[in-house]
Amino acid sequence: MRHIRLALRAAEPAGPGIRLLTLMDPDGWPLPRWRPGAHIDLHLPGGLTRAYSLCGDPAEAECWRIAVKREPAGRGGSAWLHDALAVGEELPASLPRCTFPLAEGASRHIFLAGGIGVTPFLAMAAALARSGAEHHLHLLHRGPPPLPTQLAALQGRVTLHDTLTGRPGLAALLGPPTPGTEAYCCGPPGLIEAFLAAWPADQARVEHFTPPPLAPLPGARPFTLVLAKSGRSLDLPAGAPLLPALHSLGAEVESSCEGGICGACRVRWLEGPPLHRDRILRPEERETHLMACVAGCAGSRLVLDL
Amino acid sequence: MSVTPSWIGLVAHLHITARAFLPMRAMEAIELVAGEGILGDRYRIGTEEGFYSPKPEPGRQVTLFEEEALEAIRRDHGIELRPEEHRRNVTTRGVPLTHLVGRRFRLGDCLLEATRLSIPCRHIEEILEKPVFDPMINRSGLNCRILEGGTVRLGDPIRPV
Ligand code: FES
Repeated sequence: MRHIRLALRAAEPAGPGIRLLTLMDPDGWPLPRWRPGAHIDLHLPGGLTRAYSLCGDPAEAECWRIAVKREPAGRGGSAWLHDALAVGEELPASLPRCTFPLAEGASRHIFLAGGIGVTPFLAMAAALARSGAEHHLHLLHRGPPPLPTQLAALQGRVTLHDTLTGRPGLAALLGPPTPGTEAYCCGPPGLIEAFLAAWPADQARVEHFTPPPLAPLPGARPFTLVLAKSGRSLDLPAGAPLLPALHSLGAEVESSCEGGICGACRVRWLEGPPLHRDRILRPEERETHLMACVAGCAGSRLVLDL
Repeated sequence: MSVTPSWIGLVAHLHITARAFLPMRAMEAIELVAGEGILGDRYRIGTEEGFYSPKPEPGRQVTLFEEEALEAIRRDHGIELRPEEHRRNVTTRGVPLTHLVGRRFRLGDCLLEATRLSIPCRHIEEILEKPVFDPMINRSGLNCRILEGGTVRLGDPIRPV
């Protein structure tokens, strides 16, 4: 599996229910480079995997920072990162993956964050502050905001909207979509929907932090899953999920969000055609790859390069 | 009778990394240990931290890559691949690496035996975010065993024996 090992070097409280973790190579070796908007998966005890956006400065080669919000209703991953992981301990992590990149050609960037969804924008703001591109962050939060120290460091390029005192109108907040302006949203599904209703899609980028519910698979039929490299195969009923089938065939495919948004389970396909239900592959990428956590098959055979 | 070798190359760059996936670090000199590998590098026998080859691979104690291949990848594919990005230890200038499989040659004062051509790994595309896998097929460097160890420095000659 494609893992690197990270050691927890420092941990500090960073707003309500949030623990800011500084992660490094155990020997302080430089870490892989990453682009603002990237996230990593942390592999936790009990087979849990959790994705976190990197929220430090991409120019810091030796450490990564993530902000973990305690999710009392979650499956225990955030609680473990809050209560059990001690400074000095190590844990496996994936390489950074960027499914939420900055728009390269844009001259102006508007960020819209809901709560802890602010994290990728802190990395983006650090990169843009260096390049000099115009940018501004709008953060919607309830009560005390997350990561107050990091927000203060943005030096006026941030507007806080406490939703306890009313919800701002998004159209007014975002302003007119002038040419060269790209707007980004990361937050709960309701905020992303409202954002996409208020701003043109061709100048918008979104990052879901919880996978949206899956649409059923129209056109699915029973199919044979074939692994080209190992030669193993398995007959599956219509609409059967691929990941468990792949694991039962002994294929090592990573997964994290299991909802088609994080990029962990990308696999090359050779024969299909697959039914794509992810939110991240571009049309031309779908010609050769699928996201195994959500993909299905429209043909009678799905052959994967595994 | 003295034989004039048909080629003499040199060491253009040196890199090591402590672990798979982590960036390669440029070095002025590296220390080769016979039968083991490079001090501090991921593939040293007994201390493997490499991902691609989880089992000790006696034929992969040090890896070489032609600087000319970087130029060919730029010319043929328009991809800028830097010496620290091909993930081999020694970037060579003027050495016909593909002709050395099965042969012995000198790297500085060290004696190496070339075991096989390296194969690229798909993960390199993720690490670099550059589509270099196909361009690197058949020009991904050379794996070698260390017969006599020692220090290798930038600019050291590489020659046949
Ligand atoms: S596991 Fe996240 S995209 Fe498949």
